[in-house]
Amino acid sequence: MKKFTCILIALFGGILSMHSQTFSVEGNVTDENNMPLFGVNVLVKNETRGTVTDFDGNFSLPNVSAGEVLQFSYVGFVSQEITLTGSNFLQVTLQTDSQSLEEVVVIGYGTQQRRDITGAVSVVSGKTIEELNPIKIEQALQGTAAGVNVLPSSGAPGAGININIRGIASNSVNGPLVLIDGYQGDLGTLNPNDVASISILKDAQAAIYGIAGANGVVLITTKTGKKNTAPTLQYDGYTGIQETSRKIPLLNATEYALLINEAYANNGQALPYPNVSDLGVGTNFQDAVFDTAPIVSHNLTLSGGSERVTYSVGGSHLYQEGIVGAEKSDFTRSTARFNLGIDISEMFDFSANTIYTHIDRRSINESGLGSVLFNALNMAPTFGINDEDLQGRLGNEIINPLAQIANTFNDYNLNKFNGSFALDFLPIPELKFTSRIGYSLTNSKGKDFSPIISYGPGKVFNTVRSAVNQNRINDNSYTYDLFGTYENTFAEIHHLTATGGMTVIRNWGDGLFATGYDVPNNSWDYADISLTTGTNDGLNNGAYKYDIRKLSFFGRVQYDLYGKYLISGMLRRDASTRFGPENRVGYFPSVTAGWILSEEAFLENSNTVSFLKLRGSFGVLGNDEAGGAQFYRSLLDGEATYVLDGNLVNGTALGRIPNPASGWEESEKINFGVDLRMFNNKLDITADLFREDRKNLLIAGIPVSGILGGGAPGAGAPTINAGTTRNEGFEFSLKYADNINDDFRYNFGYNATFLHNEVVAVNGTDFIAGGNFGVGQPQPSRFQAGFPIGYFFGYKTDGIFQTQAEVDAHPSQAALGANAAPGDIRYVDVNGDGVINTDDRTNIGDPIPNVIMGLNINFNYKNWDFVSYTFASLGNDMVRNYERAQPNVNRHAYVLDRWTGAGTSNEVPRVTTGATSNMAFSDYYVEDASYARIQNVQLGYTLPADALSNVGVSRLRIYASVNNLYTFTKYRGFDPAASSGEAIGGGIDYGFYPIPRIFLAGVNLNF
Amino acid sequence: MNLYSSKFKYLLLFLGIITAVGCSEDYLEKTDEYNIDSENYFNSQEDYYNALIGVYDILQSTYVNVLLGEIASDNTLSGGESATDVIGFQQVDEMTHTPVNDNLDDIWDWNFAGVQRANYLLEFKDKTEFAGKNVIIAETRFLRAYFTFELLKWFGPIPIKEDARFVLGDEKTIPRAPKTEVYAQIESDLLFAIANLEYTAPQVGRATKGAAQALLGKVYLYQGTDNSEYFQKSAEVLENLINSGQYHLYGTQGNENFANLFEYVGENGPESVFEIQYTGEQGAGFGCLQCSEGNVAVGFQGIRNYTGPLFESGFSFNVPVQEVFDLFSEDDERRDLSILDIEAWADQTGATYAEGYKHTGYFNRKYLPRQNDNLGDANLTQPNNYRAIRYADVLLMAAEALNRGGISDSRARDYLNEVRDRAGLDDVEVSGNNLTEAIYLERRLELVGEGHRFFDLVRTGRAAQAIPGFIDGKHNLFPIPLEEIEFSEGNWEQNPNY
Repeated sequence: MKKFTCILIALFGGILSMHSQTFSVEGNVTDENNMPLFGVNVLVKNETRGTVTDFDGNFSLPNVSAGEVLQFSYVGFVSQEITLTGSNFLQVTLQTDSQSLEEVVVIGYGTQQRRDITGAVSVVSGKTIEELNPIKIEQALQGTAAGVNVLPSSGAPGAGININIRGIASNSVNGPLVLIDGYQGDLGTLNPNDVASISILKDAQAAIYGIAGANGVVLITTKTGKKNTAPTLQYDGYTGIQETSRKIPLLNATEYALLINEAYANNGQALPYPNVSDLGVGTNFQDAVFDTAPIVSHNLTLSGGSERVTYSVGGSHLYQEGIVGAEKSDFTRSTARFNLGIDISEMFDFSANTIYTHIDRRSINESGLGSVLFNALNMAPTFGINDEDLQGRLGNEIINPLAQIANTFNDYNLNKFNGSFALDFLPIPELKFTSRIGYSLTNSKGKDFSPIISYGPGKVFNTVRSAVNQNRINDNSYTYDLFGTYENTFAEIHHLTATGGMTVIRNWGDGLFATGYDVPNNSWDYADISLTTGTNDGLNNGAYKYDIRKLSFFGRVQYDLYGKYLISGMLRRDASTRFGPENRVGYFPSVTAGWILSEEAFLENSNTVSFLKLRGSFGVLGNDEAGGAQFYRSLLDGEATYVLDGNLVNGTALGRIPNPASGWEESEKINFGVDLRMFNNKLDITADLFREDRKNLLIAGIPVSGILGGGAPGAGAPTINAGTTRNEGFEFSLKYADNINDDFRYNFGYNATFLHNEVVAVNGTDFIAGGNFGVGQPQPSRFQAGFPIGYFFGYKTDGIFQTQAEVDAHPSQAALGANAAPGDIRYVDVNGDGVINTDDRTNIGDPIPNVIMGLNINFNYKNWDFVSYTFASLGNDMVRNYERAQPNVNRHAYVLDRWTGAGTSNEVPRVTTGATSNMAFSDYYVEDASYARIQNVQLGYTLPADALSNVGVSRLRIYASVNNLYTFTKYRGFDPAASSGEAIGGGIDYGFYPIPRIFLAGVNLNF
Repeated sequence: MNLYSSKFKYLLLFLGIITAVGCSEDYLEKTDEYNIDSENYFNSQEDYYNALIGVYDILQSTYVNVLLGEIASDNTLSGGESATDVIGFQQVDEMTHTPVNDNLDDIWDWNFAGVQRANYLLEFKDKTEFAGKNVIIAETRFLRAYFTFELLKWFGPIPIKEDARFVLGDEKTIPRAPKTEVYAQIESDLLFAIANLEYTAPQVGRATKGAAQALLGKVYLYQGTDNSEYFQKSAEVLENLINSGQYHLYGTQGNENFANLFEYVGENGPESVFEIQYTGEQGAGFGCLQCSEGNVAVGFQGIRNYTGPLFESGFSFNVPVQEVFDLFSEDDERRDLSILDIEAWADQTGATYAEGYKHTGYFNRKYLPRQNDNLGDANLTQPNNYRAIRYADVLLMAAEALNRGGISDSRARDYLNEVRDRAGLDDVEVSGNNLTEAIYLERRLELVGEGHRFFDLVRTGRAAQAIPGFIDGKHNLFPIPLEEIEFSEGNWEQNPNY
């Protein structure tokens, strides 16, 4: 009502002043969420006259005349010009400018204006997070930051998500360091709505984090209130339904029976289905296990600030049910948060924030032999929906997936407090000391119950004795930082920032596990150790405890001359207890430099080039996550059994040989980049050329001299820093933003990363194997010099033998298990020795993409907004490993195109129950899993402000969106994007839980 | 500026406190973990005892020393299924072995593992005090001497480290110690053991004073060929043992039956000076033969595809040759107890079997698998104890030392005849070199199949005449495994002529 009055007054004022030459103009400036902006500069163009907006965003400027241009500028927002036509009240909405050159970017122990950054730093703004509306914060990084790849381990609600920055370089731990407001944190539990922005340090810029920086650094800044803003209450909520994004085409009962008949006939056996006429389509177990499932999210935030205090408090609740197993695989996340900033005095600023998170999760058996989806794919369609395989026709592993879901009982709960307290001390304006402590206290408990159950004789999932497993885990950490920053400009041209300080990090925790037997009534309701009565000869409990500490000192000097020649140097000294006393201290130096060409005379007045900066960086970083006390100290887990007095006696003996010199992985990163803005900042291009050499990878099982005792029972070869990898590539991002007119704005963003990955050396052993394929087959993945990390090692195929003559003309394949027959896979004699055997195995693909890309489109027309986010990954391979090699299981429908006689197929081999070599791990099982996925499409409508103000609502936006709308891929499995995240053994598909397609309707409401 | 100065003072104080409290490297040492590992063990008597069990455990892997030592000699042939069955055994039998030999590598690795486990305990020997610690230290040193002596016999000079574990990098810096230094360490260990152990062990199977004396006598005897003073030392320590009256030849007293010496009932008997203990109560697999609690050598030398009484089948390795069978006189009771004539046995009992590679018709009866209910893989878990040092061996070593050292042929004859007497043979009356030859022959016959022959031949300089393909100056020692030469990066040289 008040605003309405204002408008009326302004209108009348305007009419009254029309008659004079000059008049007074009044107006109000808000952001796009209709929040008033305080302190916006309002200037008459090319003059010094001007004013600033007040607390409510209002301004008034006297003595202006029609035709004059008013400029509105505010840090972090796109400046706007308005030509005065009269003294109408001006309602000005400034657009957030997340790409502003003046924007302050968090770079670790400090901030820097975007224009001055000399390292490779990507920023994902709060606006992007808002648009993407992710369920987990990691999803906001996919396709939005060049060089960042986000790999979900599963589509199950709450499942872990792996992040790789500029590829994988380690054989063990590749996840980036995550810091929330400066302290060690975890992305997995964070509520995306609490995040204000994300900085990603991709090159030697991260060297300020020394031994922890090699995998890149993700810096999360949580939301705070703004000074001098009125209290605002914001509600964001959505609800939706989820369905599977893909189903695998399978055989129906009739197709299945015919195929099985053919397989038996090909081996000269009697037909198991002599009469197929009334089998029909049978049961579709896949359809039966997939559900549509609900999702709902609420977020409430209150924020604001006065002259000296800012505050932001909020709460959220998310519930997501699984598309497989419904409430048996659900995820609930509830969070509460506060953030408080107080300027205590001229010299002291204090801030504190705390986030409480509660997670409740249930899960079903997934991604493995015996998982629900694996069973759904392999259970024969001739079984009824409630039937069990009582005759054991499908082998010992395949059971009815619905019964499996029904007998799955587990629950996982997590409670977490994390946050920080910080005190800034500014004795003089140029000098600031920061002392802050960040903490994370987590406790979780898990319980799973296996009831007495029989799925048929011999099934491995049968349980004859009920048991309940329970655990309690505490994981804690604190990060204490004490550092000072001195910033000053000398003689107007030398700008210097010096930062120095220390960090102490401690991660500690413990876990306790126990099992109780004989659960009363064989029921989940009674599944608790307190109620169990059974005893067991073995040890039914276990525990662990850990305590890892790091002590670090660091310094950084940033200097620029004339604001255009920039250079910075950093040095960090780290000591980490992940390594032995003789080798736990490391020094990590780095240097970055930049040259802002657009400040030079020859570009200063260019109409095309608005900004141009060349930059380069070089530094040494470390990764200590791969380390651990188990490498430098020997556990006493060797076998020590002898016979004394005629009885077996057990003692203790050294286990694996320790390597006191085991150290961190060392990374050398070099980066050359260019930041270019053209056409008055409309086009923004960033390009980077980078290389990382990762040395001293810790590799287990390197053979060493026998004098060290590795030959003893239970001993073994040590873990030694013995591997080197190289990642090199090119990434660029391009953004184009334009306003066609006041009503229509749009922007495009595109980014791409080209990556080449290679193992350079493994010293002391030929390769490390990993992963699994089929049952009892050699490990398919390898880490070996000259190949990508975790490449697939198997046979190359060359079509299908069409005739016996072709078989006879080809080198013998008998060494693979059986002599070839027409219809079998023809393997390539790679080494040309006239016989196909294990020596012919070679590189048949790798799970690392050659190119990843993101394409983001954003339109605003009047009150309508539209965004779409697309991500693509090209050149990543996946092993098809969800097929059980057993004669009677159901098959993927592609077998309908199998070989049935000369000329029928050159791709899919014949079916037979007899022995063949077709099961050997070959490129027949490796598929191109390149894909492009429309991750998010969203259409929103913001109701006009004047229609709402009388109900006290300042902004109301409603939207509809679809997550994972569609995936373009040739990959036959559920999800080409999924990965276990293992460096060696990733990209093997046991039937990944597919990512859901989610239809959402939501609302953003501000009071 | 005064204002700032005072503020700076507080600031410096603040920084100073933080530095003093928070930044010291002590922070990194005080981690709080429940973790018993190699570096914080040995806190009680029990810890030491448990670690000692770990050292004893390695004795079981010395089955391969016995088996391959016998195959190397002129007593037996390699056998097995075919010319490529355990190629390392076949090559040693043919004297064609090279530095690439998995079985020789096993001997290197496993005996050094024993040394390492012993040195682990000895490294911490001063950490915790308790009554009776010297017994544990003495046993540990006995075992270190046992493994070190085996390594010395097989490979000659070897790297040694006093009372400390080898650590990564030692292979590049610690040289192969000359034999004299290795012997010095062995002797010092055994003298300590003799001084601190009793004739009766706290548990059956643990080392005794007698075991240490016998081994020391043997170690001295091995050095006698080069320096006859050692015969004196050897005779002295062995006669001390003999005169202790703690042992006698099995089958000579009470209701003992000589035929049972190598049966289960004869285990840990009065003739046993040191015996390696095995059991069939725990399963084992080919993936880790050294992990077996059974005597792997026994299954390996069992009769191939055997079905019949008394014995179980095996892999037909280590088959005695006709010559050694024929060396026994007809009335020597030991012949049929030591060597099984399978054809005669099959005729007599109706047993069936298959002929393996290099089939001779004879098997090493002392260590054939007896029927028992050992766990699978039954070929790897035969429970026959290995009689590492028998009193008969002690008597013959004493005889040899007395005779070759020119100390007393008469006492030498007495000891020799004590052994012959049990076998039902007449006394010998010869002296001097003839007595030496008689002792050598008696050693071969008495100890056939027990893994001593090859090293007896080498130490007495008779190997080249006896063993086909044996080249003096080369085969006196086995080659250092090739990978060890490579690991040492030039620190260790290969044995001559390999």
